Amino acid sequence: MKRFVPLLLAGILLLILQTTWWSFFPIPWIRPDFLLIFTLYLAFIFPPFLGGILAFFMGYLMDLFSGNTLGLYAFSRTLAFFATQFLKERFYLEGFSFQFLFAFVFSLLEGGFLLVLIHGLEPVSFENLYLSLFTHLLPQSFCTGLAALLLFPLFQMGTSLLLSQPKQGIKARG
Amino acid sequence: MFALVLMSLRAKQRKGVEFFDVLLMEVCSPLEKASTLVIKTVQRTFQEHVFLVNVEKENRTLKRKVAELQEENRRMVEMKLANERLKRLLQFREETPLSMVGAEVIGQDPSSWFKSVTIDKGERDGVRKGMAVISAAGVIGQILKTAPHYATVLLITDYNSAVDSIVQRTRAKAIVEGNGENRCQLKYLLRTEEVAVGDAIVTSGLAGNFPKGLMVGEIKKVDKKGHGVFQYAELVPSVDLTKLEEVFVVMEPIPPPPPSTEEKTKKVKKIKK
Repeated sequence: MKRFVPLLLAGILLLILQTTWWSFFPIPWIRPDFLLIFTLYLAFIFPPFLGGILAFFMGYLMDLFSGNTLGLYAFSRTLAFFATQFLKERFYLEGFSFQFLFAFVFSLLEGGFLLVLIHGLEPVSFENLYLSLFTHLLPQSFCTGLAALLLFPLFQMGTSLLLSQPKQGIKARG
Repeated sequence: MFALVLMSLRAKQRKGVEFFDVLLMEVCSPLEKASTLVIKTVQRTFQEHVFLVNVEKENRTLKRKVAELQEENRRMVEMKLANERLKRLLQFREETPLSMVGAEVIGQDPSSWFKSVTIDKGERDGVRKGMAVISAAGVIGQILKTAPHYATVLLITDYNSAVDSIVQRTRAKAIVEGNGENRCQLKYLLRTEEVAVGDAIVTSGLAGNFPKGLMVGEIKKVDKKGHGVFQYAELVPSVDLTKLEEVFVVMEPIPPPPPSTEEKTKKVKKIKK
């Protein structure tokens, strides 16, 4: 719980950043997804149960403040979390190129998944789907990848500060 | 004594002392020059460095003042722009007979797939789900979710949005659906209807959310390709939904438009039968 609450607050802070400050970005439809990066990071440091709840909450926050009524993000973020959990034994979250690629690929996959869901729920021609793949999804994922280069080290610093235990005294150590 | 001799010599034959004059001048002048140079250097040093302590302070003060004035100027420009915007909104409010509440946009959609904004008015202010959100320039969207003090507005450009509308010139009925980034599309518009680029689209007032006759946008492209009953058109919203700052929430439910006299007589006939 001690670790859970600060990370929850960090998620809320990132959401506020995403909905307010980042809206001043000159291209409004291309904005890095801070919460996705945070969710991916959580998968590397949290156990499945607690992290899963956090990931679900991050998605729920996205759903709450977006025009989406179906809870798509709550679903996709939890999926992204467990997919990362599955892969985390095979990778180290180190090196800029890996961090960039990791966030880029996950953003691309999540975007594609959401697009298919949206278009599945409201059938329109696949022409639009392909078009948004190039005009929205690729630049958006690229931006998320770039933001990950800055955010992953920041999260690592924050977590090490949060999880660092105070030095035990001689008595406590025995 | 020496001075007197010198004076008399100067008075009698000037040539005698000229040599001394020249000699002295030649000896002293470089010293004088050097001295002047030293004095000037010292003076300049003092002026440019030591005395500049105050100037540097003054410079800092002036720079701060300039920055303050620039900030004030920026604030004034912002206030002027806000004033102009609010004036337009007030004028619109006075001209419109509907009961409305003004709200400020406090946040954008966190995702890039959906189009919504968060406003600072909620259930406590009488805002309810489904209420129309408009501005002086036209339709913005409708209330999607409410909290006691805040609400989410689904913009007309969102994929999930649909507004019952008519083409102002031909009165042809259609549905305006969101099409992503600051674009909408006109759907279920009969192929037989004549529409052209530049035609204005206004709300029909039939769905119950939006008052009749509000500007939705302008047709940008008409697509009659393929076969079918309908034609499609692309629409540019009359409001720039990427730069929303203040909006109005229409508070009262919109009554359905009164039936025409022909419809009334038809109904009476049916009842009589």
